[in-house]
Amino acid sequence: MNFEYSEKEEKFRIEVRNWLKETLPKYLSEKVRKYQRLTKEDYELFMNNLSKKGWIAWHWPEEYGGTGWNAIEKHIFEEEIVKASAPRIVPFGVNMLGPVLIEFGSEEQKNYYLPRILNNEDWWAQGYSEPGAGSDLASLKTTAVDKGDHYLVNGQKTWTTLGHHADKIFCLVKTDLNVKPQLGISFLLIDMDSPGVEVKPIITLDGEHEVNEVWFTDVKVPKKNLVGKENEGWTYAKYLLTFERTGIAGVPNSKSALNHLKMVSKKSMKNGKPLIEDPMFSSEVAELEIDLLAMEIFNLRTVSAAAEGKAPGMESSLLKIKGTLVRQKTTELLRKALGPQALPYLPEQFDEGWNEMPIGPEYAGPIAKQYFNMRKISIYGGSNEIQKNIVAKASFGL
Amino acid sequence: MDFSLSEERKMLQETIARFFENSYKDIKKRSEYLEMNDGFSREFWKESSNLGVISGLISPSFGGLGGSGEDISIIFELIGKSLCIEPFLSSGLLSSTILSSLKNPKIELINQIIEGELLVSFAHMEMNNRYEDHFVESKAFLENENWKLNGSKSFIINGDSADKVIISARIEGEINDKNGIGLFLVDNNKINNRSYNTIDGYRAAELNFDNINAELLCEDALALECIIKANSAGALALSAEAVGIMQVCFDLTLDYLKTRKQFGKSIGSFQSIQHRMVDMMLEIEQVRSAVMLASSTFETNSSIRDKNISAAKNLVGRVGKLVAEEAIQLHGGIAMTWEYSVAHYAKRLIMIDHLMGDADYHRDRFKLLSLN
Repeated sequence: MNFEYSEKEEKFRIEVRNWLKETLPKYLSEKVRKYQRLTKEDYELFMNNLSKKGWIAWHWPEEYGGTGWNAIEKHIFEEEIVKASAPRIVPFGVNMLGPVLIEFGSEEQKNYYLPRILNNEDWWAQGYSEPGAGSDLASLKTTAVDKGDHYLVNGQKTWTTLGHHADKIFCLVKTDLNVKPQLGISFLLIDMDSPGVEVKPIITLDGEHEVNEVWFTDVKVPKKNLVGKENEGWTYAKYLLTFERTGIAGVPNSKSALNHLKMVSKKSMKNGKPLIEDPMFSSEVAELEIDLLAMEIFNLRTVSAAAEGKAPGMESSLLKIKGTLVRQKTTELLRKALGPQALPYLPEQFDEGWNEMPIGPEYAGPIAKQYFNMRKISIYGGSNEIQKNIVAKASFGL
Repeated sequence: MDFSLSEERKMLQETIARFFENSYKDIKKRSEYLEMNDGFSREFWKESSNLGVISGLISPSFGGLGGSGEDISIIFELIGKSLCIEPFLSSGLLSSTILSSLKNPKIELINQIIEGELLVSFAHMEMNNRYEDHFVESKAFLENENWKLNGSKSFIINGDSADKVIISARIEGEINDKNGIGLFLVDNNKINNRSYNTIDGYRAAELNFDNINAELLCEDALALECIIKANSAGALALSAEAVGIMQVCFDLTLDYLKTRKQFGKSIGSFQSIQHRMVDMMLEIEQVRSAVMLASSTFETNSSIRDKNISAAKNLVGRVGKLVAEEAIQLHGGIAMTWEYSVAHYAKRLIMIDHLMGDADYHRDRFKLLSLN
């Protein structure tokens, strides 16, 4: 065992760091650092830079344009992106659909869509959840009826992240209603500008618009947009979910949040002294750091095993649970560290170019909002309850 | 011992409950009030006065009809249930507590508050004050026998719409001294204020003042006593409000667990979910009990009063987090939306821990009071 980064890995880290320093515009990292609202162009700018560099598809095999990085290099890359305050890589095309097409798509689909994903020509959205199908995804109701050369799609998807920016959406639809739910699902690619597609915003508890409802009314979808075989979509859906769950531990994000927490608790005062000098509070921060330290190694153990070809099974579920809890704990302690400074909420503070005086220290503005927003991470991508079901079912033999 | 409410109080509870339910039918109504000029409805405030809700917070000795710990708890629990954003805490309770605790109580002003005609905010918090009673940086000084104030106050609930403000300021001593503090009454139109919404929907303001004229209300020991009393009354009221909110969170969650079907059955039929509901129920009963105790000792000597209030508010902080987070998690995605009320209840419940002392503050205060 050796827990040190090799010289080669350290060199790689410096390479990524320098590249980010050269290419990431300052205004953009400022916006990310201040939790300001990002435009479609902001995301695209960063992703286009990655495309040009050939670093966008780091989960893909090299022959399709992937980077060929090992698990440790991927981890380093993710960490540097977060440290540099770059926007997140919108995952739906490159990290979710891409691997599915590579594994199950037709030659025609691969030739058409994969280069477009590599060049960010399409903004993809994910059409999985429905109002009646969350944890029980297989119970989805959106139907696609065979009309000869096309399917006729009717139904509603929900929680569609950044769907208001999307050009295309990959959807799970019902193509056979007379069999067990899992056996009648197909995986369909739909153009968002098809007649009958409507996107409606969902405003979340923090007042923000990030997720949407997507409605389909008699939407014609060409047959060639079916991925793989009809009624076998559930297999592809599950394959995709394993990609959604890798990296869901969010170690780099929690590390950066922990550093932020230490900074804030040095500046926050309690009885005229820095809060970090309060033994009770600093113990909580220390325990959080211990959890995170262990989780980082747990995460690296898992991704390294995956790189050797061992499929991450229940480990990715365990990491998802612990990762979300640790991340949520960082937002909780940040909120607590602020004391009464957590109260003011200026929605305009999150607009680009806002340059009024904040209420209290500038870092205080997003913290309570971020705490509430982060409640979502233990719900989405398969709730933590569902992850526990998966683990119990897969590993206990009960 | 008798744990039941008197007939009179039960009637008060029913009347006020009906009134709140009618005026705050759903979360959209609250949003409408929020968007009004003052961040609440003047009309509702006047009606509250007519119905005796404001006077229910004030003792008969000062022209009110209530003012006991039980009265305060009953009213604030109902405020919590409806997520009401009117200035009951700022004007109705904190300011009237101070105005009635003076050597010469300001009966006339208290009456105007009861009538719903005067709003007074209590401005004690400062940017670097972390809930402490005696941490005061703003300065007071005499100039030609007139008191003048210099400084700033932060996070003042309803600090924008108040007609008058009670300001704590240091007459002498260091920032953290227990002595040397004065309480002053000021017309709000002399104060520079910047108003904003809090994340849980309240209206608050930052107050800045530079050599403004002020009337001295009290100083030194009495001033500190007034601040402690107001903060304790506020902590009790917020604890009772939290009980109301927790109950709504619990009820909404239970309803949802019964109606939401996944895997062919209601999600409430899963044992692991049921156990979590039981944990929540148990903790809510703990909080309710601690708040009842704190209400019953509200009029006793200050160390028993404050110890029991700190116990209640500490539990509110700890259990509030559990209930808010579990209510959201057990609902799932729907609880993350603005449109569904549970998110607003959860936000208020969490932010109550940022007002009048958080769980840590009250744990520390309990330790001190309990060891002495």
